[in-house]
Amino acid sequence: MPIILKTGGPIPIPSGYHETVVTPKASRAVEAYWSFTARTAGRSVVLPDGRCDIMLRDNIHRRGAPVAIVTGPATRAYTVTYDIGDRWQGVRLRPANGVALWKDQITQASDRVLRSQDAHALVPALAALGCNDITPDDLAGALPQLQWQGAAQIDLAIDTLHASGGRIRIAALARFIGCTPRHLNRMFRSTIGLTPKTYAQLVQFHRALRLIKNPRQSITGSAFEGGYADHAHLTRAFRRYGGFAPSCVPHDLTLPTLFA
Amino acid sequence: MKLGYTIIYVADVPKTVTFYETAFGLQRRFVHESNLYAEMETGATALAFAGTETAEMNGIAILPNDPAAVAAGWEVCFVTDDVTVAYDRAVSAGCSPVTAPEQKPWGQTVSYVRDLNGCLVEIASPIAQPGE
Repeated sequence: MPIILKTGGPIPIPSGYHETVVTPKASRAVEAYWSFTARTAGRSVVLPDGRCDIMLRDNIHRRGAPVAIVTGPATRAYTVTYDIGDRWQGVRLRPANGVALWKDQITQASDRVLRSQDAHALVPALAALGCNDITPDDLAGALPQLQWQGAAQIDLAIDTLHASGGRIRIAALARFIGCTPRHLNRMFRSTIGLTPKTYAQLVQFHRALRLIKNPRQSITGSAFEGGYADHAHLTRAFRRYGGFAPSCVPHDLTLPTLFA
Repeated sequence: MKLGYTIIYVADVPKTVTFYETAFGLQRRFVHESNLYAEMETGATALAFAGTETAEMNGIAILPNDPAAVAAGWEVCFVTDDVTVAYDRAVSAGCSPVTAPEQKPWGQTVSYVRDLNGCLVEIASPIAQPGE
């Protein structure tokens, strides 16, 4: 689960959150474990970050097997409704490891969410996990291992893309990492499951969002620094990836570093 | 205000520090344990290196310096009495030659190289002050 955006009631404080984010790169370089327990009933918006998660959803006040959920790389904000005690425990994958989860389905996995039997069919080890006392290691154990040769190249591409705030041109990025734009495109689609352009737009959106959240920074200035040509361009990106207008960024947006 | 730091974003901070020691004869002032930031001993204005990933941490966006691309539009300039020796040392340490030392009409000897990351570095003699 990337960034949680609370839309009603008091902000639920994530409990048992074990991730230690040193840098944004560190948060991408390792699989991050996270958990979230709802203290009140409510609704949250989850902002897309282009990565896949494996999670288990249950309720700490009720007995029953947790529901396994596997997500494809998200490009759209989505709303989660929860009850008191609803709990998610998850593993967030490195962007380039989407393919480890989805295998040859990765190119069609964007914004897909598989639950229960469908999730088990994709990741059979999930079916074996019980309802109580699931540790991060259990989830990590359910993760398919990935070994492939182009990992260093795509990692460099992803890091460079992030450093540029999603603004480096795809042709320039391809040249920098030493391949053709066509190969870069294929590499992104076959590992992350998104085109470099879409992934870049997500990075650009998150950076602009962070800039705009500074109350001393104007929307116009943030749009310019974020690389949006004009206000319409900015508004379109915010509607698409956040579901809100740049002037209506919810004030209780959870800090990206928490769920980055 | 005063100019406190010149900070270059690089892929590998320790490697760049070592390179600047070898190629330009500088000394390190300190390297942070994270290996994401280092300063060279350059007097009141520190030449510093920061890991590329710190750009995102700080909310800024940068293009990577790229030895294979045209250099970015700025430079660091080192001043020395013997430009030729310094230039030769830089090139033998792995800098790409740009322009070999040449004397300018105003009496200054000037050369340019590009460092391991593709950043433009000028090596020049001091400009004689009026009256000297």
